[in-house]
Amino acid sequence: MPVFHIDGEPVEYEPGEKVLSAALRCGKIIPHYCYHPGMSVVATCRMCLVDVVDLGNGRPAPKLQTACSMDAAEGMKVETLNPKVEEGRKLVNEFLLVNHPLDCPICDQSGECTLQDYAFEYGSGKSEMDYSKRVNGWRDIGTFVALERNRCIQCSRCDRFTREITGTNEFGMFNRGHELTIDTYADRPMTNKFQGNMADICPVGAITEKEFRFKRRVWKLKKNRSICTGCSTGCNVTIEHDRNEVFRLKPHENQNVNKWWLCDEGRLTYRLMNERKTRIHQPLGRVDGKLEGVSWEEAYAAIAERVADMSPLPEEVLALTDTHASNEELFLLQKLLKDVFSTDNTFCPLPKWEQSESEFFINTLITTDKTPNRAGALALKIKGDAKSAKLKKAIEAELKVVFVLGNPFEAEVEVLEKIKKAQLVVHLGTFHNSWSEIADVVLPGQYYSEKEGTFVNKNQRVQATEIAVHALRRTRPEWRILADLSAALGQQSSYGSSADVFNAMTEQLKAFSGLSYAEICRVGKELRQQTKDSGMKVVKAQT
Amino acid sequence: MAEETLVLFKNIRNPKYDKSLAAYKKSGGFKSLKKVFGMKPEEVVQEVKESGIRGRGGAGFPTGLKWSFMAKGTGKPSYLVANADESEPGTCKDRELMLKDPHMFLEGLMIGCYAIGCHHGYVYVRGEYFPSIKSLNAAVDELYADGLLGADPLGSGFNLDITIHTGAGAYICGEESALLDSLEGKRGHPRVKPPFPAVSGFNGCPTSVNNVETLACMPFILGDNGVEAFKSFGPQNNSGTHLVSLSGHVNRPGVYELRMDVNMKDIIYEYGGGIRNGKKLKGVIPGGSSSPVMTADEVDVLYNFDDLAKKGTMMGSAAMMVFDEDTDVVKLLHRITRFYAHESCGQCTPCREGTHWSRQIVRDFLNGNGSDEKLQRLNRVGGNMMGTTLCALGDAAAMPIQSFVKKFPEEFRKYYATV
Repeated sequence: MPVFHIDGEPVEYEPGEKVLSAALRCGKIIPHYCYHPGMSVVATCRMCLVDVVDLGNGRPAPKLQTACSMDAAEGMKVETLNPKVEEGRKLVNEFLLVNHPLDCPICDQSGECTLQDYAFEYGSGKSEMDYSKRVNGWRDIGTFVALERNRCIQCSRCDRFTREITGTNEFGMFNRGHELTIDTYADRPMTNKFQGNMADICPVGAITEKEFRFKRRVWKLKKNRSICTGCSTGCNVTIEHDRNEVFRLKPHENQNVNKWWLCDEGRLTYRLMNERKTRIHQPLGRVDGKLEGVSWEEAYAAIAERVADMSPLPEEVLALTDTHASNEELFLLQKLLKDVFSTDNTFCPLPKWEQSESEFFINTLITTDKTPNRAGALALKIKGDAKSAKLKKAIEAELKVVFVLGNPFEAEVEVLEKIKKAQLVVHLGTFHNSWSEIADVVLPGQYYSEKEGTFVNKNQRVQATEIAVHALRRTRPEWRILADLSAALGQQSSYGSSADVFNAMTEQLKAFSGLSYAEICRVGKELRQQTKDSGMKVVKAQT
Repeated sequence: MAEETLVLFKNIRNPKYDKSLAAYKKSGGFKSLKKVFGMKPEEVVQEVKESGIRGRGGAGFPTGLKWSFMAKGTGKPSYLVANADESEPGTCKDRELMLKDPHMFLEGLMIGCYAIGCHHGYVYVRGEYFPSIKSLNAAVDELYADGLLGADPLGSGFNLDITIHTGAGAYICGEESALLDSLEGKRGHPRVKPPFPAVSGFNGCPTSVNNVETLACMPFILGDNGVEAFKSFGPQNNSGTHLVSLSGHVNRPGVYELRMDVNMKDIIYEYGGGIRNGKKLKGVIPGGSSSPVMTADEVDVLYNFDDLAKKGTMMGSAAMMVFDEDTDVVKLLHRITRFYAHESCGQCTPCREGTHWSRQIVRDFLNGNGSDEKLQRLNRVGGNMMGTTLCALGDAAAMPIQSFVKKFPEEFRKYYATV
């Protein structure tokens, strides 16, 4: 790649790339507000001014140039730290603060506000503005984001977002000159499904998420990489939490999955991470027809005892799982049935689903498959749904032992009624549901934010979640429960971590061969051997 | 009264001229177009280059050069857009041309279209110019009826359409890229350059945006012996006659067609008939409100692009605003800053905040709250807008502020707070 120089350091660029884009890619910091790599360049905030001392032809640029709109050229020399640039930044920052309310103490953006950061770094520290500031009236623009127009610095990112990214065009800029402001058209509320992104890209506190407002100061939040488990797209997110409470999900850039975006529905999945009422807090066993708290050891021992008593035939054992389970859990469940009971009666619901198709990339993030690991179940060859003949045949048998992972077939009353008659029903799950009501033993698992696991998204990409918050004290991750059960039922089991299970999968399963856990945790990787999903239907996105 | 040099105004100064197509043809109109249709487009551009005509809209960029920059072989249509969004305070020359002799301008536009291979020319007219719009529309109708526009005019095989488009009253739409945005139906916001309109302009196609007066010169330049005659009207690099909009405290304000080697003093005292009521001259804003002001001592200079540039100011759109000794310069500056604060499009930071802030400071002076510190601040705020904005409006707002503070500091002192 050709090279130009920033502050004496060589920076590689792709032909046609802008100075700012190349600089950011190489980790050079040039302050900016209006520039966003996913949107068109408008060069209006004027913060990214740099001094081009050599345009590549030996001559300097006549005045400071905006790095975001300046084409990089071979041999170009750019200075970002000289006094001329610092002066330029200082005056732009001063202009931005002329009408910006200094309400940082009550502003929710405070702490992640680039205006605040740059004012601190490049500002002069005093204001010479003697007159009253511009005040725009208060507006309510819908349910998801709050608009505080006085704080707006007119970078037009939100305007460009609805024009170029979602294509919904319901938000724009009004008036001109120093009265330029942002609002929705015709007083209507926002309608797009990605409004949270507007809060993300807003460099100041003009647009903030209503869901998060005034809940926690951002500098208290700890952040962990993870993926969104709200649907099979598997958008990369950071889970932001404090004192073991999750406050929000923010998208994490991954060009192969979600670019910079996350849908509003995905953002709201954080609520379940804090759910306590319906969580299963400890192992439960049915004593005299009632579920009562037991210890893990008692639960395992009871299951082992009952299984030994019954010594079930292969066709009398069944496992049901949903596609919320991670690859490791599915793998171990399958293995448990194979090794202990010599059966492959593992079923999961695989309903038909729709994938949106659109000229706007962001719309393709939305699918109707709201489970994160359908493709993983397919790769592991777990089959069947309520209507499949195999499952029907399996539940017709005289069932003795049934393992239920999560909440599969929740709408199929028929399946539930049949399973109810089985002699031993073991439920592994995080929340109480109709399965835990009929189960003989309930083993409490952990939620995505509390455990590690890998998931295969709709594009066959394997990605991982990591532990963000502490799990409830008496719960265990499902992969461990399944490994323990396997041991209790007399099998060798030596998995010390989720990664061990994943490595075993890469050795034993062709579909997962050649994957490294470290890489999957970082950016994810596509399965080498891809399974076709016959349940997918591509539909035109409705905006 | 001193004589004008009549090229653009040759018909307008004729009292019997009625601006109809027949009258224009009778005065020799469309001869140049006929000649041009017999030339190759490159030859036309070459002649325009040789004439040395510089854009009359304000920047003074050589027109021939601009046309030669048009991207070729892109597979896209080219466009020529006439910038008739004349809204620089003090300027009223294009209005005269469009109102009183629209055919000369339209012939120039057609010549330009032929030179750059454009089959659809646009005229973006300032929204408030109702009579001009009416006059242009009537003229275009006449041309279509006569077969001069549409398919195959004058048997040339060169199809050409012209559309008159009215603006909605924004000064910023006189900036060429904002004009193109507005013409496309968007908010009139200046675009990031590069790419320049010659590469990606109207609807992403190569486009040339030219001032009305520039285009109106074309019939003369492309006429018989036009290039040499045009060059003879001014010193080197400042060829041709130009229309000077003289306004302010003179006895005979108006639009005068002058050579480029006329002294500014003569314009005020000969053509303009001197200062009204026998007062003394205090200063002149030489080229529209955005040009740096000149004091009475500085006006002994030739009125053209280069000589004014040497004096640290600019000719711009040749709109001279003369003010006499009774004028309150601070009030004048307040009027100018108010204009720019109102007309800033607001997209880029220094101009959006700076124009409003400087207006607030000047108003503070008018309220009697001035101080040395505030004067310095005004100068600094103005200077900070200079050269840091996306388009030239920031510079246009900064230049009067800085020049007024520099040249009339005493005037500001009158408004200092008395403690």
